[in-house]
Amino acid sequence: MNWGYFASPATFYRLAGWMAPWWFVIAVVLGIAGLYVGFVVAPTDAQQGEVYRVIFIHVPAAWMSMFIYFVMACYGGVSLTFNTRMAAMMARALAPTGAMFTFVALWTGSFWGRPTWGTYWVWDARITSELVLLFLYIGFIALANAFEDPRRGDRASALLALIGLVNLPIIYFSVHWWNTLHQGSTVKLTGTSMHVAMLWGMLLMAFSFWAYAIGAALVRARAIILERERRTQWVRELAAT
Amino acid sequence: MAHTFYLAMSYAATAIAMAAEIIALRLRRARALAAVEEERDLETQD
Amino acid sequence: MNALLAGHAMRAPHASFGSGFAWAFRRDIALAWRHPGETMLVVAFFVLVASLFPLGIGAESQILARIGPGVIWVCALLSAFLSLPGLFAGDYADGSLEQMTLSPHPMSGWASGKIAAHWVSSGLPLTMLSPLIGLQYGLTLDTLGVLAAALAIGTPVLSLLGAACTALALGARGGGMLLALLALPLFVPVLVFGAGAAEAQATGLSPSPHLSILGAGLILAVLALPSAVCAAIRIALD
Repeated sequence: MNWGYFASPATFYRLAGWMAPWWFVIAVVLGIAGLYVGFVVAPTDAQQGEVYRVIFIHVPAAWMSMFIYFVMACYGGVSLTFNTRMAAMMARALAPTGAMFTFVALWTGSFWGRPTWGTYWVWDARITSELVLLFLYIGFIALANAFEDPRRGDRASALLALIGLVNLPIIYFSVHWWNTLHQGSTVKLTGTSMHVAMLWGMLLMAFSFWAYAIGAALVRARAIILERERRTQWVRELAAT
Repeated sequence: MAHTFYLAMSYAATAIAMAAEIIALRLRRARALAAVEEERDLETQD
Repeated sequence: MNALLAGHAMRAPHASFGSGFAWAFRRDIALAWRHPGETMLVVAFFVLVASLFPLGIGAESQILARIGPGVIWVCALLSAFLSLPGLFAGDYADGSLEQMTLSPHPMSGWASGKIAAHWVSSGLPLTMLSPLIGLQYGLTLDTLGVLAAALAIGTPVLSLLGAACTALALGARGGGMLLALLALPLFVPVLVFGAGAAEAQATGLSPSPHLSILGAGLILAVLALPSAVCAAIRIALD
């Protein structure tokens, strides 16, 4: 299969065009299922009561914030290695969505912390690293748009994303390294001590966010293609229709 | 329930963030298409 | 002047990492020696800002001793940050950077030499000055020692990270603020572990976990970041 075929912006534009709506449909379906499990099936928590149900947004958003950064850095690496435009455009397309999820993770964490820990904010290792991640996203977007030549912005921001990758293990392992307020990981690859309905609620919402992220990134990538390729014939004809 | 406030703020902020993103995307696409048309019109004028 | 020095590199007989490193290191140290304003600015800023905190917070010795390690680290970090634009700006402006890229020396050699010289003219003075500032904050001798050690390990990492960010932002719109947005988030882990080491010592715990992670970070930075700096310079010059 000639993967280079999909590296052409014109091909990608059409592909993303029919795929994106379906990803949003999947996101909505999984989201409804996740919220149902989270609010109807999952029981009240013994210690925290109802407020723990923030977990169905907070943890999936945190997972997505890290995962999207990783994928963005991968696209950046691909764009630098193979000097492709499309990979760089995908990295740019992912950044704002990643930043959004990082913000949501921080915000929901803050509103979960207030009733349970007594404070809206604490300079805990994981929270601080997540805040750093938000700044990494903002820095990526700022650097990508800081040059007249968009290709220079592509390459610079791709390299920045790769350098910033070191922050992800710090976020992940910070709860092991420091004995601070934020709780340790309850969900590991080997199993979990969490109630099964709560786990399923979290997983469904995580997949819903993942589908949403793909849809949003595809739509944004299409807009970026229109902006970047606006002098080409196929884009001109497209706008005429 | 006292905790409804915190739940509501969390879910509402998320919904608003996602809605804002979708709206921003639609605006960006509209602006991009308008820019393409404008450039094309400028060229055909020459 | 800079063009002459760069031209010398092109005629050097043995083009290697080591000779490139030595050439760039000697050159930048000589430049810093002849124009000590930059280094003096870094040192003066460090001392000045470190003095602002007691003035603003009040000279209660217990509070100062408690916040000392963190404050001194932040001041050192900001001072190091301020010295970053000068690392490549002069050479970028007069074309020496491009000439150096064309030289037979491998790029990582002279780039590392420049970064090492930058550390000698910024991070090293800060490290050596930190015990004096620490005394102002009433830190004990053992804490001062750990603080200096942490700065000695951490400031080279800051120079390396800062060099990568400076190279990435060469000629970009947004200047200093863009550089701050790029560099300061990357500095945060160094700050956390560096200040954490001194604070651990001050509260009676062992600083070695913090210093070990800092050391590992330094090794990783030395191995990985010079190539990143070179890639960033190449991106800037294209």
